[in-house]
Amino acid sequence: MIRGALLAFAALSAAACAPEDRRTEIDVQRFFGECGAVYGRSTDISKAEGECGIVTTLFNGFRARNRDLKVDVNVVAWPGYAQLAAQIAAGDPPDLVTMHQGVMSDYASRGLLEPMEAILAQAGIRPEKFTAAARRGVTKNGRIYGLPWDTVGGLFHINTKLFEQAGLMRGGKPVLPSSAEELLAHARKFKQATGKPYLIQSQVNDPATHVRNFYTYMLAQDAVMFPDQDHIRLRTPEAKRVVELLRQLNEERLSSRNQDNPAAIASFINGEGGVFPTGTWMIGAFEQDAQTPGRPLYQGYAVLPYPRLWGRQAGFVDGHAWVMPKRERTPDQRAAIARLLRFMAQHNFDWTRTGHLPAFEAVVNSAAFKALPHRQDIAPLAQTGSPLPGYVRRQGPIEGIVGEELGAAVSGQKPVDRALADAERRVNELLSYMP
Amino acid sequence: MSLGAWIGVGIGAAIMAAPLLWTLLLSLKANAELMRDSGAAFSAPYTLENYRSILQGSSLVQWLLNSVIVSGGTTLGVLTLCSLAGYAFARLEFPFRRTLFAFVLLGLAIPEQAVILPQHQLFAQLGLHNSYPGLILPGLVGPFGVFFMTQYFKAIPKELDEAAMLDGASRFTLFWKVLLPLTLPAQATLGVFTFLASWNSYWWPLISATRSEMFTLTVGLASAQMNYAQTSGLGFLMAQAVFASLPILIVYIIFQKQIVRAMAGASVR
Repeated sequence: MIRGALLAFAALSAAACAPEDRRTEIDVQRFFGECGAVYGRSTDISKAEGECGIVTTLFNGFRARNRDLKVDVNVVAWPGYAQLAAQIAAGDPPDLVTMHQGVMSDYASRGLLEPMEAILAQAGIRPEKFTAAARRGVTKNGRIYGLPWDTVGGLFHINTKLFEQAGLMRGGKPVLPSSAEELLAHARKFKQATGKPYLIQSQVNDPATHVRNFYTYMLAQDAVMFPDQDHIRLRTPEAKRVVELLRQLNEERLSSRNQDNPAAIASFINGEGGVFPTGTWMIGAFEQDAQTPGRPLYQGYAVLPYPRLWGRQAGFVDGHAWVMPKRERTPDQRAAIARLLRFMAQHNFDWTRTGHLPAFEAVVNSAAFKALPHRQDIAPLAQTGSPLPGYVRRQGPIEGIVGEELGAAVSGQKPVDRALADAERRVNELLSYMP
Repeated sequence: MSLGAWIGVGIGAAIMAAPLLWTLLLSLKANAELMRDSGAAFSAPYTLENYRSILQGSSLVQWLLNSVIVSGGTTLGVLTLCSLAGYAFARLEFPFRRTLFAFVLLGLAIPEQAVILPQHQLFAQLGLHNSYPGLILPGLVGPFGVFFMTQYFKAIPKELDEAAMLDGASRFTLFWKVLLPLTLPAQATLGVFTFLASWNSYWWPLISATRSEMFTLTVGLASAQMNYAQTSGLGFLMAQAVFASLPILIVYIIFQKQIVRAMAGASVR
C-alpha cells in the first residue's frame, strides 16, 4: 500500500516535471458533430465519410503534418453560437470558428470578427479564386470576414422514374419548367399520369423550406428585399407573384401538404412524388437509396438547381466559413492560423464529398469534383447562388418570421397580401431593435 | 379502487408511457430505416448499433464523470446550505428574519435567463468558466430548497429543542444531532430533485463549459450530433436521449419511495 502510494506520488511528480509544451497553440471551434471514436486517429482523408468524418480527419492530417503546432479542436453542439457568444462575452473566444455565412453579418456588424484579407494573403489564398457564391457569402460591407468552406442551397431532387411515367424526361434528363405557367402545366400533367403530387414539400415546422423557395425566386426577379440594413420590403408584385404560385400548387394539391421535414424525406425516398426541393446536404442519402436495388429511387434519381421561372437563373444559398473572432494573437499564432487555412483550402475538394458545393473555382472545374455523383449537374449553383446582402443582420430570426408567414399564406390560412404585410411589419419591428 | 378508476389510471399511465416507449423503440432502429419510415420503430429487426456509436464516443466517460461531479457537488451543496438556512429561518430569531425570508422566496420568481448575462460576466471575471466550481456554484442558489427545509424544520415540535437545551446541548449540537436526523426524508426529497435538475441542466453548462473536457453529459451528447440529426440520425438521437436518462432512472428506482412521498407531501401541504 505504502509502496503503491509512493509510486503514485513519483508518477505525479514526474508528470509535474514534464517539459513544458512550447509549441504555438491555436484554439479551433467547430460544429459538424463529434466522431473521435471512429475517426480519432484517421489521417486518410479519402476514406473519411460524412461531415464529421471528413473534418475530423482533416484536422488529424493537419496535426500530423505540422507537429510544431498545437491545435486544440473544440466540438460544440450545433450550431454553437450560444457558446461563441458566451466566449466572446468572457473575452476568450477561439482563434478560428465555423460559422454560417448568413450569421457572419451579425458578428461582423458588431465588430466581433477580424477582417481576413491579410491572413488569407499570408496563407497564399486569393479571394478571386473563390466561387462567386462563396465570395458573396463571406463579404460583408466590402470586407472579407472568412475563408469560405462551401456553398449550401436548395436543389430540385427528382424521381426520374416518375418523371418518365409523366413524360417529363428528354434524352435521359428531367425536363424542368421555364416559367410559372409551365410549372403548373408540368405539375398537372405529372399528377394526371402518376396520381402523385409533382412536389414533395416540407411545409410544417420548417420555415427554411418556404424561405428557400421564396428568396430564390425573389433573387431571380432581382427584387430588392432589403433596401437598407433596417428594412425589408415584401409588399411587392414580385413577392406576391411567387407566393401566389406556391399557394396555387398547394390548392390544386400539386404539392404534398402537412408534412414536416422527416415526413417529406420519407415520402420522397418512398417514391411518393416527383420533386423534393431541399438542400445540397441530402444528395448523399438520396444517392445511397438510388444505388440500393429494390428501393423506389433505385436508378431513378437526379438533382438539379431550381429552374428559372422568372427573370434570371438564381438560387438562394448560404455556406459554412472559417472566421476569426477578434482577440489578441501573437505573430506565431497568426502564422499557425494561416497554415491551417491554407491546408483547409487545399482540401476543399475532400469537403465537397459531403454534398456541399466547393468554395473554390478550381475545385468546381476539377475532374475529380465532376466525377462525383450529380455534381456536374448542380455545379452552376456555385456561380448563380446568392446569399442575402451582407448588411442584412438577424438572418436566422428573419427566416423564422418570413417562413412562418409564408407557411400561413401557402397553406391558405392567411390571404397572401396579409401574410406579406405581416411578415414585413414583424421583420421591420425586429430590425428596429438593432443598434 | 373501482374498475373505472383502474381504467382511468391505466389510460393515464399509457399516455405518459407512450412517448417513452416510442423513444426507446426509435433508439433501437437503424437510422437509414427510420429515414424511410419512422413507423418502422414498431417492427423488427432491432439493433443496438446506435448505443454502440454512443459508447464509442471518445469523451463519453469524461462527460459522464463531469455530470456525476457537478450533480453530486450541487446536491451536496444545496442540502448543506438549505438545511442551515432552513434551520435558521425556522428556529432562530434575528433582525429582518421575515424580510430576508421573503427576499429569498422572491428568487423563485426570477427565471434563470433573466440573470444569465451578469452571471456569465461575473464568472468570467472570476475565471470560473470551464471549471467544476463554475458549473456547481450557480446551482447552489436554491430558494425552493430554503423554503422547503424551512417548512420542514417548522413542522418539528419546538419541545425537542427545549429538551435538548435543558440537557446542555449547544445550538450546533441541537441542529446536528437532534433536528437534522429528523429531516432526513426531506433531505432525500430535496436531494433527488436537486440531482435531477442538475443532471438535466443544459443552458448554463452549454455557455459556461466551452471546452469539451468540461462538458457535462447533456452538452457533450448534443455536441456529438450531426447537423441533420432529426432526419438522418433519428435513431442515434433517440439513443442519446435514452442514454442520458439512464442514470436518472437509476436514481429514481433507488429513491422512488422518497420521491413518491415528496409528491404526496407536496400535494397535501
